[in-house]
Amino acid sequence: MRDPLPDHGEELIHLMHDSEARSDVPADSVTQQFAAVSAGTVKAKRKGLPLGAWIAIGWMAILILAAILAPVLPIPDPINDANPLKAAQGPTLDHIFGLDGNGRDVFSRIIWGARNSLFIAFAAVITGFLIGGALGLISGYFKGRIGGVLGAITDILLAFPQLVLALAVVSFLGRTVFNVTMALAIVSIPILARITRASALSWSERDFVTAARAQGAGHIRTMLREILPNVLPAMLSIALLGIAVAIVAEASLSLVGAGVKPDVTTWGNVIFSGQAYIRDAPSMVLFPSMVIFFTVYALNYLGDVLRATFDVRESAL
Amino acid sequence: MPRTFTLKFLRLVLVVLVVTFITFGLTKLQPGDPVSKIIPFGTAQQKAELRTDLGLDKPFIAQYGKWLGNFVQGDFGKYYDSKQSVNTVIKTSLPVSLELMLYAQFFALLIAIPLGVTTAYRAGSKYDRGANATMFALLALPNFVVALLLAIYVGAKWQLLPTQSNVIPFPLNPLDNWTYMLMPVVALTLGQIAVYMRLLRSDMIATLQEDFITTAKAKGIPTRRILWRHALRPSSLTLLTVAGLNVGALIGGAIVVENVFGVPGLGKRITEAILAKQYPALQSYVAIIAILYVTVNFAIDILYSVLDPRIRNARSVA
Repeated sequence: MRDPLPDHGEELIHLMHDSEARSDVPADSVTQQFAAVSAGTVKAKRKGLPLGAWIAIGWMAILILAAILAPVLPIPDPINDANPLKAAQGPTLDHIFGLDGNGRDVFSRIIWGARNSLFIAFAAVITGFLIGGALGLISGYFKGRIGGVLGAITDILLAFPQLVLALAVVSFLGRTVFNVTMALAIVSIPILARITRASALSWSERDFVTAARAQGAGHIRTMLREILPNVLPAMLSIALLGIAVAIVAEASLSLVGAGVKPDVTTWGNVIFSGQAYIRDAPSMVLFPSMVIFFTVYALNYLGDVLRATFDVRESAL
Repeated sequence: MPRTFTLKFLRLVLVVLVVTFITFGLTKLQPGDPVSKIIPFGTAQQKAELRTDLGLDKPFIAQYGKWLGNFVQGDFGKYYDSKQSVNTVIKTSLPVSLELMLYAQFFALLIAIPLGVTTAYRAGSKYDRGANATMFALLALPNFVVALLLAIYVGAKWQLLPTQSNVIPFPLNPLDNWTYMLMPVVALTLGQIAVYMRLLRSDMIATLQEDFITTAKAKGIPTRRILWRHALRPSSLTLLTVAGLNVGALIGGAIVVENVFGVPGLGKRITEAILAKQYPALQSYVAIIAILYVTVNFAIDILYSVLDPRIRNARSVA
């Protein structure tokens, strides 16, 4: 039998098993999916980033730049520049991605969509990162009653299937950008809490933490200065994957009619408005779908690279 | 065993209670008066009657208690306008969704298990790297994209299969049932294959390094038997847990896919209820899904400790 490759998915699985053994709850589906995403595509390399990582970074950089610069770019307005006479026109030189059902430029709508979709995804995951990270760090550090209570809260949040929870929050509270962002943040809090907790649990057992405590470091200092820096790489790589998940979730919500209202241009809404035209003008759906695919792929890949670079394996020691 | 079972069951009940309480609370948080939403042009008297009718004049806890009482007795409420019973809708739509998810789960495992086992055995080979790269790409392919691609090409362009589903119950006409189910199932299955295959692969790679595998090899047991019997057995437990946890992702995927293809399942009914602002119905749907999900994982958790002697013993020692 051949020698198996070093495999980074394993650490995450071990991390999950650790948390399973300790907290007596199974890991959640999303953690499992993350483990699947990160099951070793990128080999650990000491020097330099692989070419693929540069391509992924390049794609994300272009996308983010375009999203930020959308108001000053020489592109038609995504909502008001409508030309109903040319509705559902395929790609031409003037409109490289074609026009949508109202005769609006699909390319422009994708860039403006990036502005809103990326904002929603980043804001949601950053919120989840801060709240979930804090919860996870505290419950991983204080193993006793506090950890138990926080763990139970996480479990309850995880008892909702992700999309159903987001769906419920948005439909009950209203289809605004803020509510969609909050719904996705609520979904990402327990995921980040779970990962952070698992990692913080194993790090807080280490000798240097005991040493810091013996030298008189307080709980907060120990958590922030000793444990957090070690837990951060795992959190960041999960956050990158989380952004990808949030992008897909935003689009999924729009697609089932429970996302941001159609007058806000998001990737999900661009696809949703094209759905009725798949017979005559599939380009309306194909181009935004492709952009989502590339973005999710790039984020998954970067999350994987991050894990390999920081060698998250150590945290399982 | 019986003690852990009781504890776990109590936990399950607690989670279900909290989940339904939160969903109920969410409906109350919605801005605006629900009565004005249902009959915006009703007179003050009509509105007051409806308010009493819906129990909205009572305190929150009382409303929740009443809802819970009905729910436990199997009364899932009514639609506002048509007065259609939610139970009837669930009776027709839930089996469709379950069928869709069962097919997806079955085919995903059917394809993922052989792929996971063979790639783990030949880790690092061209075959392994090729399969891995494909699966990595599949992970980035949201199921609505697969669904839309199928609808565009297989449905609209080549006209091979109907794009709008009109699911015929399997017992009535198996062939028609499959014709309508095929595209939704494929759309739901592809991403799941990647999840299972990649987890099984990394799990198996770890298993293949264990001593008992070396022993088995030394005894001269054929490779095929080692892979499929000795190595797959411990990994299959991991797979079982993941399959259960994955039901959450599957439910989310089913909602999206049902909407793209117009499959008359629970997912489609949920989004219809959202658009029509049928909150009491929606609340029951969300509660039912959460219960379904928690119960499946509860069952798997129990099954897991029954199947794996290591866990069984560890628990009894502790």
